[in-house]
Amino acid sequence: MPTPNTKLLQGTLDMLILKALSLGPLHGYGVGQRIMQMSEDALRVEEGSLYPALYRIERQGWITAEWGVSENNLRAKFYKLTRAGRKQLQIEEENWERLAGAVFKVMQTS
Amino acid sequence: MFWLRLIYTRLYGLLRKDQIEQEMDDEMRFHLLMRTRDNIERGMSPDEAERGARRRFGNVGRIKDLARDIKGGGFMETLLQDMRYGARMLLKYPGFTLIAVFTMALGIGANTAIVSVVNTVLLRPLPFRDPHQLVVAFKWDRQHGFLENSTSAADFVEWRDQNQVFDKIAAFITSGALLTGVDEPEPISSALVSANLFDLLGAQPMLGRGFLPEEEKRGAPVVVLSHSLWQRRFGSDPGLIGKSLTLNGRNFTIVGVMPAGFDFPRAELGFGADRREIWQPLYIDAISRSVQGRANYFYGIARLKPNVTLEQAQAEMTAIAHRIEREHSDTNTAMDVNLIPAHKRVVGKVRPALLALLGAVCFVLLIACANVTNLLMVRASSRRREIAIRMALGASRARIIRQLLTESVMLSLAGGAIGLSLAFWGVRLLASLGLNEIPRLNEARVDLWVMSFTLTLSVITGLLFGLAPATRVSKAKFNESLKEANRGLAGGAGQRYTSGLLVISEVALALILLVGAGLLTKSFLNLLRVNPGFNPENVMTIPVSLPQGYREGQQQTAFFEQALRRIEAAPGVRAAGVTSSIPFGSVRGSNFSIQEHPPLPPGARPNATLYAVSPKYFDVMGIPLLKGRGFTELDAKGATGVAIIDESIARRFFPGDDAIGKHLTIDVPPGAGEPTHLEIIGIVGNAKHFGLERETGPQIYEAYPQHPFPGMTLVVRTSADPLSLAPAIRSELRAMDRNLLISGITTMEDRVATSTLPRRFNTLLMTAFAAVALTLAAVGLYGALSHSVTQRRQEIGIRMAMGARGRDVLKLVVGQGMKLSLIGVAVGLAGAFGLTRLMVKLLFGVKPTDPLTFALVTAMFIVVAFVACYIPARRATKVDPIVVLRCE
Repeated sequence: MPTPNTKLLQGTLDMLILKALSLGPLHGYGVGQRIMQMSEDALRVEEGSLYPALYRIERQGWITAEWGVSENNLRAKFYKLTRAGRKQLQIEEENWERLAGAVFKVMQTS
Repeated sequence: MFWLRLIYTRLYGLLRKDQIEQEMDDEMRFHLLMRTRDNIERGMSPDEAERGARRRFGNVGRIKDLARDIKGGGFMETLLQDMRYGARMLLKYPGFTLIAVFTMALGIGANTAIVSVVNTVLLRPLPFRDPHQLVVAFKWDRQHGFLENSTSAADFVEWRDQNQVFDKIAAFITSGALLTGVDEPEPISSALVSANLFDLLGAQPMLGRGFLPEEEKRGAPVVVLSHSLWQRRFGSDPGLIGKSLTLNGRNFTIVGVMPAGFDFPRAELGFGADRREIWQPLYIDAISRSVQGRANYFYGIARLKPNVTLEQAQAEMTAIAHRIEREHSDTNTAMDVNLIPAHKRVVGKVRPALLALLGAVCFVLLIACANVTNLLMVRASSRRREIAIRMALGASRARIIRQLLTESVMLSLAGGAIGLSLAFWGVRLLASLGLNEIPRLNEARVDLWVMSFTLTLSVITGLLFGLAPATRVSKAKFNESLKEANRGLAGGAGQRYTSGLLVISEVALALILLVGAGLLTKSFLNLLRVNPGFNPENVMTIPVSLPQGYREGQQQTAFFEQALRRIEAAPGVRAAGVTSSIPFGSVRGSNFSIQEHPPLPPGARPNATLYAVSPKYFDVMGIPLLKGRGFTELDAKGATGVAIIDESIARRFFPGDDAIGKHLTIDVPPGAGEPTHLEIIGIVGNAKHFGLERETGPQIYEAYPQHPFPGMTLVVRTSADPLSLAPAIRSELRAMDRNLLISGITTMEDRVATSTLPRRFNTLLMTAFAAVALTLAAVGLYGALSHSVTQRRQEIGIRMAMGARGRDVLKLVVGQGMKLSLIGVAVGLAGAFGLTRLMVKLLFGVKPTDPLTFALVTAMFIVVAFVACYIPARRATKVDPIVVLRCE
């Protein structure tokens, strides 16, 4: 079974969303799907976490939203990464690597 | 760009709430659809697919709530929320809201009005360039203690030529002239000024130019007009420069017109309340060399050099004065120069009164705030339940306090808005009172500065009186509140304590104000009771100036003889007289000495006000003849010089002696002829000249045929309303000579009443504020006691059930209220004791600790407090114990 996402830190989810959008604009549902794809089904984002996260990131100004038409001709809200968002993604990636490396080192010593 | 977008999104969130709701719904719906479709693709049936999707989605409502918080959130959003909620709450209890708003309106409105006046009168600088550099220069008669004497032309020239401290100094004197050569000769106020005056003030003429130095030197017949004269008499003619007009029958060329609003000397500088309409050059150098050179007529205005301080300038001018004294010891003994900064001259007399009023309105505002605080506390305690539930649902204490504070600020802003409009109206009223004694009062307006003050004041008071109730009510622990709330109106000892404290402060403040108003009222009544020394009833005064044609003294005397004869023949006239100086008006004075007494050097001689009068003058004015005789037709020109003295001279200089038959010598300026020698033939009562409050010193009366003047004041005693005869008398005089200057016919009663106007104004205002304070305090007391009665219904019910009668309940409640009042009265009396000594300058004939006033005010307050306690007490006796006990 895929890991329940409630264990993910809030900041991590934000980073994943930014990463998902770095490959191109998506609507909310699409973001959740892409994260699942990219993690090879390991991560499933709950709707209850996804939308608050999206709105929060939008408020910060890292993504913008625009109404458009989805692949099946339905009206949907598309999110796009901004330049500030791209920069933020880079920062978060660096932080994450540093954090992951540190945790890894701790867990190595047994 | 980033920030712009951020602000845009935030604003968008704020303003398009409905649209955002809709968008969120759409987004969620889309998501559901996609999930359902995926489920169908995976092989579920449509129904299953949808159900699964919904289940997966979870609680949509909660998601939307979270999302909404994130999207919305922020200070502005919550503020708007709070305001909407607050408005709803306030409108739900209209009675409470109205009382609170109205109370604040009173407090803030009164404050705004007085601050407007203070702003205009005390704070606004004079409308000249760099007004802080301007000083008024007076001659300081150190010996007699006259700080603000006029100076002579010769002295002024020395000041001007010898000083190093002034950038410029100009001389001026106020005057009046008759605009002739037109259908309606019109008296206009004028001033003669040095040519450099306009430059000194930094004032540019709007048309033409000011005066040239040569024009001043040779006294050229040129004039500069005021804007209003240009508009009124010359139709705003832009080509007026170079044309001429006639004053007193002589031609003058118009060289300039000043812009609107320019005036010098301005009323607030204290040289006469009229606005000057015309300026003429003052040929001071020529005068200084003439016979009148050492006569004191002029004043000086100077601009300090940029890095010269007032002390430095004063020191130098004193040195110059000493130099002059050494050279002219006969005229300038103990004469110094007194430099007074222009702005200090403006506020000097008025400051104490205005500050007292400012203090009074602050008290009123504090009392209003205390009242509203009490009101809010009562309201807050009745909302305990609502607030407890909100806190249980997750609202933080800070949030609750913020919301309650928003409510109270809205209250005070509403009160402030109403108060502002009240103030607009009130200030307009004050400005139109025409009180010349209070300079620039007529310019008082509620301007932007004052309005922002009002706004700030409203917000601050709102926070102030909202804080206590808000913190108190949000402190309660959840369980307790709900339990207490179920029992009806909760209160608690804490609230009673605060409420009692507030009532005591209100009572104390109101009492202090009442004492102040009482002292002022007593002063005013004392003033009215002062005996002016003459009988002002039914006496008309007509100042008359003879035009150029009457050069000889005999011509002048003849004119007035005839005038008196004609006036006395008119119906309704009982008697008529004439005088050169009129009490509560113009005055002439000089030094004198008594021939029979050891001679005194000129500097040491006493000064007296001089009156050249006709024989019937004393009858008309009602001044009693105490000894000797009055003037007759025999005291004409050429006969022995005679004088009548007032009783203060008799008392001071002839104690135990008979003054009749002794001789006076009256000094005249050197070069103006011989001193006058007069025989004392009579003694009359002292007549107040400089207002009812001031002592009037020695007065000497001369027979006017022996001392004629072209400018005299006719006094007429009538049998009925004096002014009704004014037109008849005016036409009689005009018939005698068309070019007469008749300025301002009034009555003696008017003159005396006008002199009391400032005090009357001040006293009325203070009393009004004190009355408001008393009402507010009484209402506050009543309210607090009312609430207490309602809270203690249970207790009262039990008491009555146990046998207490109506009387006992009354005693209980009234006792509680009176205890608070008496403590407040005690605190107030102590405070008044300390504070009224600040008012000493405003009092007349009353000590600041006058026991009678204190006692009366206290008694009045206790009566009012008793009534305020009695009403709720009576209500308490109507409590039906059975109903109350069952209810709980």
